[in-house]
Amino acid sequence: MRLSVIAREKIFAVSLIIPSILFVTVFAFYPLLYSFYLSLHRIILGLPGLGQPFIWFENYRELFADRIALHAMINTFLFVFLSTFFEILFGLCIALVINQHFRGRGVVRAAVLVPWAIPTVVSSQMWRFIFHDKYGLVNYAIYGSQVSHYKAWLADPVFAFSAIVVADVWKTSSFAGLLILAGLQMIPDELYEAARIDGASAWQQFKKITLPLIRPALLIALLFRTMDAFRVFDLVFVMTQGGPADATNVLQFYGYKKIFAEGLMGYGSTISVLVFVITLFISLAYIRVLGTRLFEERI
Amino acid sequence: MTFQREMKAHFIKKIIFLSLVAVIIPVTIACQKEKEEAREETGITTLHFVTWKPNQPGAWEEILRIFHEENPDIKVVREIGPHSSSAFHDLLTQKLKNKSQDVDVFLMDVIWPPEFAAAGWAMPLDDRFPHTEQETFLKSTIMANTHDGSIYGIPFFIDSGVFYYRKDLLEKYHFSPPKTWEQMARQISKIVPGETKLGIEIYGFSGQFKQYEGLVCDMMEYILSNNGLILDPETGKSALSEKPAIEAVRFVRDRIIGSSAPIGVLTYQEPESLDLFIQGKTVFHRNWPYAWEIANNPEHSRIVGKVGITKLPYFRGGKSVSTLGGWQVGISNYSNKKGAAWKFARFLTSPRIQKLYSIKTGKAPARKELYNDPEILQNNPHFAEMKDVFLAAYPRPRSPLYPAISNILQRYFSKAISDSDSDIEKEAKEASEEIDKILSLTE
Repeated sequence: MRLSVIAREKIFAVSLIIPSILFVTVFAFYPLLYSFYLSLHRIILGLPGLGQPFIWFENYRELFADRIALHAMINTFLFVFLSTFFEILFGLCIALVINQHFRGRGVVRAAVLVPWAIPTVVSSQMWRFIFHDKYGLVNYAIYGSQVSHYKAWLADPVFAFSAIVVADVWKTSSFAGLLILAGLQMIPDELYEAARIDGASAWQQFKKITLPLIRPALLIALLFRTMDAFRVFDLVFVMTQGGPADATNVLQFYGYKKIFAEGLMGYGSTISVLVFVITLFISLAYIRVLGTRLFEERI
Repeated sequence: MTFQREMKAHFIKKIIFLSLVAVIIPVTIACQKEKEEAREETGITTLHFVTWKPNQPGAWEEILRIFHEENPDIKVVREIGPHSSSAFHDLLTQKLKNKSQDVDVFLMDVIWPPEFAAAGWAMPLDDRFPHTEQETFLKSTIMANTHDGSIYGIPFFIDSGVFYYRKDLLEKYHFSPPKTWEQMARQISKIVPGETKLGIEIYGFSGQFKQYEGLVCDMMEYILSNNGLILDPETGKSALSEKPAIEAVRFVRDRIIGSSAPIGVLTYQEPESLDLFIQGKTVFHRNWPYAWEIANNPEHSRIVGKVGITKLPYFRGGKSVSTLGGWQVGISNYSNKKGAAWKFARFLTSPRIQKLYSIKTGKAPARKELYNDPEILQNNPHFAEMKDVFLAAYPRPRSPLYPAISNILQRYFSKAISDSDSDIEKEAKEASEEIDKILSLTE
C-alpha cells in the first residue's frame, strides 16, 4: 500500500518531533510531577520509621503558616524586582553603546560578555572577596588605608542583601544587553535617516524610534531575567549561606536546606513546587502581554 | 521531491550515528566496569573512602601508603569532598540516599551518627567493636557514636572548643589569661586602646559567628558556661527561653560582636577567624585544637611562640564548657566489601595511626591512652593540660533530626546577635516552639 504524500510527510514530521518530546518528558515533566508527588507526602530521611504517609496538602498548609518561608519569599521578590530592574537598565545602556560604530567595537562587545561567561560560583567567590571586611576591594576603594573605618558589608543585613543584588546585576546585565542589542540591530537605519532629515534630536530619535521598536526585545529580556532571578541560589550559597540573620535567605536556598541538609524531602519539594507555580504564573502573564504585542507588531 | 529524499537520507544517517553513540557509550562503560571487576577477581579489593579535603594532605598520603604496604590486596580510592562539614554532609548523604556503591568507608562528623543510624545508612558495628574495645576511647566520643544502644562509628579524632591568647600582650599589660568572659572583655578594653595608640591595628577577640553550624558550637559554649542549656534533658524540650540562655546570648550581642570582636566575625567561619589571629590582629581567639599547629607554623603565622592556649572562659557562677566536635569512621550499610572496609576503618582508628595523625596535624586523638604518650606530648605539650577539656567536651543535641534543629538554632542565634535591637526573648520563644515541633516528630 502506498501512503499519500501528506500521510508520509506527517509520519516524517512526527518522527522528528518525538525526540524532543521524549527529552522534555524525561527532563522536565517527570521531575515536575515527581516533585509534586513528593510534596503530598511526609518523607523525612532521618526518620524512615515514619514511612512515607500520604498527607494530602498538609505540607502546603504548613508552608503557608511558615514565617521563615514567608520571609524568604519576600526576600526573593525583592531580589527579583531590584536585580531585574537594574539589569534591564544597564543592559539597555550596554546595548546602546555596543550598537554604535567605533574602533575596537569587537573587543568591547567581547569584554562586556565576560562577566556573563564566568560561572556564577566563581563570580560569587570573587564578590565575596570584594566585600571582605579586611581585604576587600570595596573597603579599600572607599576608605583607602584607614583600616579602622573598614565595614563588614556582608555582616549587615541590608548591605549583604544589596551585595547579592550587585553581584547579580554585574553578572547578567550583559546578557540583557545582548538580547536588547538583537532588538536594536533589527531597526533599519533608514528610519534614523528620515528622522534626522526631519530634524529630530537624538533624544527624540531614541524616544520615538528606538524605544518602541526594541520593546519586544526588552520584554523578552525582562521575561528571561525575572524567571532566572527567581531561581537565585548559587550567589546566596557562596556569599552568605542565607545569613546574616536570614536576611539573604531566598526560597530556593530554603528549599535546598530543607531537602539536602535536613532531609525533609516532602516539605522541601513543596517549596520547589511553589517556586515552579510562581515562575509559571509570571511567565504566563508575560506571554499574554508579550505574545499579543509581538504578534501585533509583526503585522 | 529529490530534496526531500536527500533530507531523509541525511536524517537516516543521523539516526544511525546517534544510535551508534547510544550503543557505544554504555558498552565502553560496561567494559570499564568489567575491567574493574576483573581486577577484583585477581585478588585486589577496591575500597571507596569518602573523605573531606584535608588541611594537611601529607598526613593522609602517608597513612594510605602504610595501609597499602601492609594490605597489598586492598586498594583504597579516596573520594575527596568539600572541606566544610555541611557541604560534605550534603554530598555524602546524597550518595547514601541513593545506596551508592561508590561509598564503602566514610568520615562522619560527631553530630551525624544518630541521623545515619536512623536512616539505615551506617552499618551497626556492635559485633566487631565490643564494649571492652569501646572503653579504650574517650567516653563522650563513644556516646556520640551510639544510637538506640548500638554503635555506628569508630572515633578517629576529637575536637573541642579551646581558647587561644597572646602571651606577649597579656604579659605586657600584666594580665593573666581571663577566667571569665567579663574579664576577657575588661582586658580587651585595656589592651586594644593601648596598642591602637601605638599605631597597631588590633581587635580583641575572634570566633565563628557566621550563620552556619559553627555558630551553634560557639553559642552553646556561652550558654552552657552560664549554667544554661540548649535542650533540657529532663523535659526533652528547648531551654533557649530560660534566663541563663537569654543572658548569655545578650552578652554575645552586646559585649562581643562589634565591641570585643570586629563586626566582621558575623561572616567568619574557622579559617577567616583564625587568619585574623595568626596575622597578629586579635588578642584572643576561640577555635578547635588544630589552630595550635598553624599558629605556631612560621610559614603561616606571624605570632609563632607568642601563643597561649587554655580552657574557654565562663560566666561568673558557671564553669568552662567546650563543644564536642571531631570525626568518626563509618561503614556504609550498602557496601558489598564490608570485610575490607572494616579492616581499613580499624586501621585508621588504631593507636599508631591516631598517634601519627595527631603528631602530623596537631589534632587530638580519640583514644585515651594516647594522652600519656611522650611523643604526642612532646609535639603538643598543651595536651597534658587540655586533657580535662577534651574529656569534658559537651555534645550538641543528639537526634536523627539534628540538622533541622541546627538550622533553627543557627537562624535564631544569627538573628539575635547581628541586630543590636533584636528582641532576644521573642526570637528565643519562636525558636523554642520550632525546635519542640521538630522534636515531637521523633517521639
